Amino acid sequence: MRERDASMEHHPSSWRAGLTVGAPALFGIAAWGLVVGIAMVKTGLSVPQSLAMTLLVFAGSAQLAALPLIAAQAPIWIIFLTALVINLRFVIFSALLAPHFRHLPWHKRFFLGYVTGDLSVALFLQRYPGNAPELGKLSYLKGLLYSNWWAWQVGSIAGIFLGAAVPSAWGLGFAATLAIICITVPMVQNRAALCGVLVSALIAVVGHGLPYKLGLLAAVIVGMASAMAFEEGAEKWVIQWVKKRASKRAEKHNEKQGDDHG
Amino acid sequence: MGDGEVWATIGALALATAATRCSFWLIGHHIAIPRRVHEMLRYAPACALAAIIAPDLLLDNGQIQLQLSNLKLLAGIAAIGFFLITRNMLQTIVFGMLSFTALRLLHVF
Repeated sequence: MRERDASMEHHPSSWRAGLTVGAPALFGIAAWGLVVGIAMVKTGLSVPQSLAMTLLVFAGSAQLAALPLIAAQAPIWIIFLTALVINLRFVIFSALLAPHFRHLPWHKRFFLGYVTGDLSVALFLQRYPGNAPELGKLSYLKGLLYSNWWAWQVGSIAGIFLGAAVPSAWGLGFAATLAIICITVPMVQNRAALCGVLVSALIAVVGHGLPYKLGLLAAVIVGMASAMAFEEGAEKWVIQWVKKRASKRAEKHNEKQGDDHG
Repeated sequence: MGDGEVWATIGALALATAATRCSFWLIGHHIAIPRRVHEMLRYAPACALAAIIAPDLLLDNGQIQLQLSNLKLLAGIAAIGFFLITRNMLQTIVFGMLSFTALRLLHVF
């Protein structure tokens, strides 16, 4: 029990270590916030609305994805579902991080989860791969999360005020599309994902005219299904190939043995 | 979209953040995510993002534009290539914006 308490106590050097490890990425985080900030204002959100969005939602990809839907007057439930789908990766992150801190009271766990950015999860798990209580664990995570949160908010708020000052003719809205490209490309890690992305893009374009942005929903579902089907198909193919090789080898082996004894 | 609806949307988005980020922090202690669900979770975000940008790059007034005069598509493809080489988001955004602006102002196509 004493050990567990120590891992949750404030530990200044771990806090600084978390901050130092995360620091190199802070500039990129702020720049990314800047792009989202500009995009919010350029979509037509007022300054208070944009500020509320960055402070309350605090999820760049979901915010960027929601903006064209807001502009296209999509129903709120479609926007909500889209944000949920894009945030699905956070479910995995929370499953990875939560076991480390299950002894904390629920409101602290809720708060930590709420401010967890993508990068912080990876950096934290590099330092603490195991779930066991260790001195300074919580402080290390806080050093990562809080600096990340501040970098994002400073960039985003700067973007909101900058965006309000920049004329629309500069076409800065396209920067948001480019930003989404940059977060989508690294997600395509295998052929199955590529298949899913291409199918989804195709259906989104073809189904663009459907009411309530249902084309988007259909695109995600069919894209996901084809990625999984592709994976399954590829897996089966590999298994069959391995089996064939194994049986051929066994045949040869038998023949050889037959020759030896014959 | 009216002001009230935008505020409601912001609320819905905040809920989407809380529901996903806080999920296992609040409910899960020893729940393992099944493999199939894990795969689904892995592919869904990329599909959703692709479905959002594809119409932006390929459509103009609801018509599919595949010719060279579609500058967004050209700049988008160039940006994908640039990102694959550099893996740098900020540089890619600057590069993409510059290509888009250059193509627009120079009337190459």
